[in-house]
Amino acid sequence: MEVAVFIVSAVVVLSGALGVLLARNPVHAALFLVQTLFGVAVLFVLLDATFLAAVQVMVYAGAIVILFLFVIMLLGVDRADDLGIEPIAGQRPLAAVVGMSLAGLLATVLLVAVDGLTGAPAGTPIGDAGDNTRRLGEALFTDMVFAVELTAILLTVAVVGAVALARRLSGPMQPLPVVAIAEVDDDPDEATGDDS
Amino acid sequence: MILAADPLLVDGIDLTVVLIVLLKAGVAFALLLVAVMLVIWFERKLISDMQNRIGPALAGPWGILQTLADGIKLFFKEDLLPTRADRVVFRLAPYLSIIPAFVAFAIVPVGGDFSDGGDGTVSMFGRSTFLQVADPPVGVLFFLALSAVAVYGVMLAGWSSGSKYPLLGSVRASAQMISYEAALGLAIATVFLSSGSLSTHDIVVGQSATTWNVLATGIVPFGIFLIAGTAELNRPPFDLVEAEQELVGGFHTEYSSIRFALFFLSEFMNMITMSAIAVTLFLGGPAGPIVTQRVAWVWPLFWFFLKVMAFLFTFVWLRATLPRFRYDQLMDLGWKVLIPAALGWFLLIATLDVAADLGWPTIPVVIVGVLVLWGGASLLSGAVRKAQAERLEEADRGADETAGSASGLGEA
Amino acid sequence: MLGQYLPIVFLIVLAFLFAALSFFASRLLAPRSPNDKKEAPYECGIIPGREAPERFPVRFFLVAMIFIVFDIEIIFFYPWAIAHGEMGLFGLIAVLVFSLAVFESFVYLIGNGALEWGPIRREAQTGDVVSATRTTSTTVSRAGIRQVGLEGRTGGDS
Repeated sequence: MEVAVFIVSAVVVLSGALGVLLARNPVHAALFLVQTLFGVAVLFVLLDATFLAAVQVMVYAGAIVILFLFVIMLLGVDRADDLGIEPIAGQRPLAAVVGMSLAGLLATVLLVAVDGLTGAPAGTPIGDAGDNTRRLGEALFTDMVFAVELTAILLTVAVVGAVALARRLSGPMQPLPVVAIAEVDDDPDEATGDDS
Repeated sequence: MILAADPLLVDGIDLTVVLIVLLKAGVAFALLLVAVMLVIWFERKLISDMQNRIGPALAGPWGILQTLADGIKLFFKEDLLPTRADRVVFRLAPYLSIIPAFVAFAIVPVGGDFSDGGDGTVSMFGRSTFLQVADPPVGVLFFLALSAVAVYGVMLAGWSSGSKYPLLGSVRASAQMISYEAALGLAIATVFLSSGSLSTHDIVVGQSATTWNVLATGIVPFGIFLIAGTAELNRPPFDLVEAEQELVGGFHTEYSSIRFALFFLSEFMNMITMSAIAVTLFLGGPAGPIVTQRVAWVWPLFWFFLKVMAFLFTFVWLRATLPRFRYDQLMDLGWKVLIPAALGWFLLIATLDVAADLGWPTIPVVIVGVLVLWGGASLLSGAVRKAQAERLEEADRGADETAGSASGLGEA
Repeated sequence: MLGQYLPIVFLIVLAFLFAALSFFASRLLAPRSPNDKKEAPYECGIIPGREAPERFPVRFFLVAMIFIVFDIEIIFFYPWAIAHGEMGLFGLIAVLVFSLAVFESFVYLIGNGALEWGPIRREAQTGDVVSATRTTSTTVSRAGIRQVGLEGRTGGDS
């Protein structure tokens, strides 16, 4: 039973990951990413890490990929991109080098690992699955409390960064063309027609 | 302590168990479909009463079969696929909407005897089990995860239509849903504080042992849950998603026939599930007095039904009473009122709880807590005022700069 | 423990079958006579004028970004809320410090106007809102230039 579930979710994860790479449309790629994340959530359930599984779906599928989709919609990149343009000079050779080294690292780990591919069986689980949220809470807020507070600081930095990126530029702005002014002022209540 | 696990499924799975599970899932599935049919009729009838008209009256007694007639009609309607739609995603979106709507109801305990320390097990074909489809250890988080997935249905339906009103509707809808999800999550965190478990079954058991969470958490989270839940469902007065004066039909403008019916179904199904979750979290689930011993198992079901009906009535009542929010008011309410209030209340209740454990006197702790919250609130309102003043200033500057070209236009 | 999820799998399958069979039934029962006009983007029966906006205000992006921050904070609250009885004062202080940091960033965000939507509020104006110089001609010119509310007000720039 467990092996069957593992195989199914592994197929889901891997096909999703391939889809992310191969999909031409960024929205489709984001959806494949969601598929991968779901597969990983099922793998977590398989390991009795139920809290982690729920969090995986809530945070990654529910917040982060939604942010991706917002960015895709926000910038209107939902049509075919011109692949001839490289925004960062030399990013393709760089990506190839990084990718190859990552693959090399993984291969080395797998080859050098003492217990072979599957690794040693994990120690016996502490407590029951229903109990693992409680244990996680205790561990987070006692032994790992420093890391948790660091996370809070990280979140603060993220907020400051988001505000800084999205801030309106100061100084004189280019006047809008007259037609655009008339159109914008037409519907000041409509939030998506906002003037920012 | 009690561990979240349905006793039916703990020791191995044999044929009887599989059959019971199938029965439970099947009954829940059928029940939801029938309930949706009746709730749509209930809403239409109630709202026409409130607006002094008759409402559906022809199909069946009191028009009770009207929804069925509408549903059957939709099967015979042409199913259009707009030329500019993204074909795959356009077809996928209804599934992403309807499946979470069905599955979320699985964690709701609908019956079982919780009075006098009962743990709500019932026996079925010689096995003892809970009267809920499933009791995963993460319980309520399962519901939150599914409501996170439900955002995709709305968002992708609008995006894939390749048309402007659905797109605007879905961008609004998804921003609204994630905003209120945060408030919803914080309100639920307060419930976890008093129940000490994520499992819906344990939450109900805990409430029958002490008092209902609506009192134990001090009403505020309940109110926040109700408001945020209404917004999460995109129900009036938060139905900007389908504000017909601005957006035609919102995210499902381009959907017709049975695809539209599925969105409609999942909307009402979510309404039922949200009511049921509110009952579970705050109003003791199916708990209630067992009046007669003869058909004792009926009473919990009856109480559960009564409580859910109260919420459904409230949702309809809200729709009949309140005008729709403006988008900025909606965002302000969510981010500047509900989320800080839920956060502050959570911390206050947590502090009181820990202080009670440590044996500290309650009154000084309450006073200090309220003072700190008041300080936080005034800091926040100061920030809000500063932002508004800056925006006003900036707009005035912008008006000065464009004044030249604008007055030129006026004279021409 | 996997058995606990069996009913959920069943329910997912049932819901999927329901949706798929509905589509199938609709395919059998519904008429199919598409034409260009039916399949064009909906525009209340007229020829579409403006295209869908290609870009959206950055505030939607900010909302999603801030939601991630709050979502993570809430995720940290849950295990603490479950286990807070065993950790006493230490746990409480840990969570208070954590929330303080998040609250502080929230105040920063609000103070920078990241969540300011909608029309600008001019509640600060007191006294005479409509000036004595406002006449029919200024009202007509006001309607002409669409700068509603700026002309004819004391303290305005015209």
